[in-house]
Amino acid sequence: MSTEAFDAALDILRRLDPTKIEKNLAQLIQLEPSLAEDLLASVDTPLQIKKDPNASQREFLCCDYNRDIDSHRSPWSNQYVPALSTEELEESPFPSESVRKLEVLANDSFDIYRDLYYEGGVSSVYLWDLGDNSSDFAGVVLLKKGDKSLSSWDGIHIIEVLQEGSEVVYRITTTIILHLGAARKMTLSGNLTRQTEKSFPAPSKLSEDQLHVWHISNLGSLVETIESQMRNLLEVVYFDKTRDIYHELRDSSSQTSSQNKTAHEEVIKGLQGM
Amino acid sequence: MTSAFDSIICDIISSAPSGEIKEIYNDLKALTGNKSNDSILEAITAYNIENCIPVNVDGEKVIISKYNKEGSKFFSPVTSTLFSVNHLDRVGLDLEKTDRSLTEEQQGIYDDLLKYTKNSFPGDVTFAVYPGAVESEFVIIIVSTKYSPGNYWNGHWKSEYVFNVNSGSLAGDVDVSVHYFEDGNVSFKFSKDITSEASPSSVVTVIRELENELEKEMNASFTNLNEKEFKLLRRRLPVTRSKINWGKGIGNYRLGKDSSQSQI
Repeated sequence: MSTEAFDAALDILRRLDPTKIEKNLAQLIQLEPSLAEDLLASVDTPLQIKKDPNASQREFLCCDYNRDIDSHRSPWSNQYVPALSTEELEESPFPSESVRKLEVLANDSFDIYRDLYYEGGVSSVYLWDLGDNSSDFAGVVLLKKGDKSLSSWDGIHIIEVLQEGSEVVYRITTTIILHLGAARKMTLSGNLTRQTEKSFPAPSKLSEDQLHVWHISNLGSLVETIESQMRNLLEVVYFDKTRDIYHELRDSSSQTSSQNKTAHEEVIKGLQGM
Repeated sequence: MTSAFDSIICDIISSAPSGEIKEIYNDLKALTGNKSNDSILEAITAYNIENCIPVNVDGEKVIISKYNKEGSKFFSPVTSTLFSVNHLDRVGLDLEKTDRSLTEEQQGIYDDLLKYTKNSFPGDVTFAVYPGAVESEFVIIIVSTKYSPGNYWNGHWKSEYVFNVNSGSLAGDVDVSVHYFEDGNVSFKFSKDITSEASPSSVVTVIRELENELEKEMNASFTNLNEKEFKLLRRRLPVTRSKINWGKGIGNYRLGKDSSQSQI
């Protein structure tokens, strides 16, 4: 695999119709099979939903981060669905006991967050260890509402939490895939990605449980703030920006729109500074 | 060269935004090596004809389409020339004079289109009147593009009508696409089939009114998507109208609330 070919594949994916991302991805992998692993790990696609037979068929979200072979680990039971064989499970990734406890707390908390903001949908959080002897960890917070055949929102927050000196740094890469298609003749869909970083002074003298609550509080408020900002950005880009560009093509009332255009561009500049 | 390979190349090119073909051409070459060059160029040729892409012919923009294709060349009735095309650069070559040009009736429609497009299309607009499949039919095409890759967006408008002078029937479709790709990939697509009736002297007025209506319809759909679809996906704030109190007490939100599993 060459970096040049990988970059070219990513560039194609950001230009082609985002509603066909799975198909485009499969075709590019067919053209250049050696890119498969890297592309699957770095391209966000709409999240799949599975039901966990070990937790009353409760729904959970699937992505490359909780996948092993063709199964996905459920955040509710910590088991792979469909079940893997004993030999397969020996190689399967699981979080350490401490990170799993943090993961359970994260799932409980984000499930409440989901309920309050999305009034429906599904959420799942997956965490994994970074190194044996540190409290560093990484993970992904997933939220999904709606169905692609109508309108849907997929939120993917990839997180990395590292102790650096006397600070704990949270780095979050957020992708929101938003698909809107009310009328069959009109679709407005795609994805936006933004990165955020925030540091907190490292706490001292906390028990493991207290430290977990501290992490999830920080992570929770960060994701909440990021999603609110992204929601504003999506509204500006999807509706105002698209309408402005359309009016650059055809406009039965040219004069007023050029004034609006300047106003919208100011708003976008402001939001992009976030 | 396998046919599966060619059909993937074709598929990728055919779904590309009209202002980004060259980038995708370069990407595909980087991805597959030079072996794919012919397949890609063939796919781009088909794309340009299918999407009525305007090419630069001796300083004039001319739309190429199946209607003015003659063998491997294309015909421009306005300048009475035949030309071949460098499809990657969208430039006309090997110009050849002919003695065919627009009929008087077609010229009248062409002049009306010039006035109409000048006032309603602020983009880079090109239009054409070409002979149709039978003698009583004309094809009217309007293409307006605005490419702004430096600002990470490109837009494309195409309307294509078949007008029958004898029966007065006007049938066609309008396709609009907008692509925005700064730190993301947002695509807007709208298309509509249109049927109406007109006479040669009124046909451009009829088209103008239809397209004004369509513009209104699009604005309304935008509002509908925003108010009805987008707002239902995620609230701006919870019902409590304040941000969440994260931490140990977060479970309190569940008290007094039915915590049964919500459906998607």
